[in-house]
Amino acid sequence: MKQEITEKKIIAMTNQVFEESFEIETERLQPKMNIFEDLGLDSLDIVDLIVAIQQKFDVKIRNDERVRDIRTLEDVYRFIIILKKEVALSETKREQQKV
Amino acid sequence: MKLIFFNIVFYFVFCLYSVVAIPVLTLLVACFSLVMSHRNTMKWFRRAISWYGMVAIKVLPFPLIRIYYKDYEKKSGYGPYIFVCNHRAATDPFLMACLPYECIQVVNIWPFRLPVLGIYARWAGYLSINEMPFKQFSKQAVKLLRQGVSIIVFPEGTRSGDKSMGQFHGSIFRVAIEAKCPIVPVCISGNENIPPRGSFLLRPGKIKIHKLPAIKWERFKDLKPFKLKNMVRNIISEEVAVMDRKE
Repeated sequence: MKQEITEKKIIAMTNQVFEESFEIETERLQPKMNIFEDLGLDSLDIVDLIVAIQQKFDVKIRNDERVRDIRTLEDVYRFIIILKKEVALSETKREQQKV
Repeated sequence: MKLIFFNIVFYFVFCLYSVVAIPVLTLLVACFSLVMSHRNTMKWFRRAISWYGMVAIKVLPFPLIRIYYKDYEKKSGYGPYIFVCNHRAATDPFLMACLPYECIQVVNIWPFRLPVLGIYARWAGYLSINEMPFKQFSKQAVKLLRQGVSIIVFPEGTRSGDKSMGQFHGSIFRVAIEAKCPIVPVCISGNENIPPRGSFLLRPGKIKIHKLPAIKWERFKDLKPFKLKNMVRNIISEEVAVMDRKE
């Protein structure tokens, strides 16, 4: 069974994605920051962000409708936390079925 | 009262000028097309649009609206370039007629819906960015640049209406990287009320346009589009702040 990552770790890894992919300074990565108005991402940057998040967290979110509701950095954290929980849950179910 | 009078006179002369200039220039280009290649005809067509815009923005509102154009690059190259400008008012697209290059503009949907001018913009190959997916936009923009046509873009996407500057959209910066095309920051100051957002009422004023030195591809080729757009935004923002202070 894969080791579950903590929320704190998810936040740190998400910030890392913003730092690496967009070279945004760490100080600006505050949860309440609007990723469009404050951080300056546009629709094409969102595609890059999705790709980077997929690689970083080993998840699939390309067609996830919930991405459209993301506005702030906090929304991104929350979205990934939920996503990781869903992945963990489905993995547990699968393992239980195997047993 | 003076303001109303100025606007009545301006718009009357503008309509009169358009009624005469547009058919005359169209006829001139149509005559050229009989003896010239399509490419050269398009070149003259785009220059004709620039002449029309230059008279409309520099001559007709003079002396109540004065325009000062400054080119910081001592020796201008031949282009093509991607001109990136800040966007404060509806006059900005007309102000770009000051640039001595064969240009097209990247526009929102509404300019294409303008009577007459919208049709000419479409004919000239202006790119309506919201009406096409990025891939198509990129393909068309790169094709135009390879033909030697410069592209003028207002990456804020909409007029700020004041002295603030919105975030930049990154599409054109991705094109610049792909096409290896230099980017020229163009700063506009003083026209936030010419006309104010949501109004047609022109106010007297002094508009300054500063064309900054080109940023060559070699300087930004390794940058990510996000970093590049913010770099150009910062360059424009700093220059515009200086221009606003000197007002």
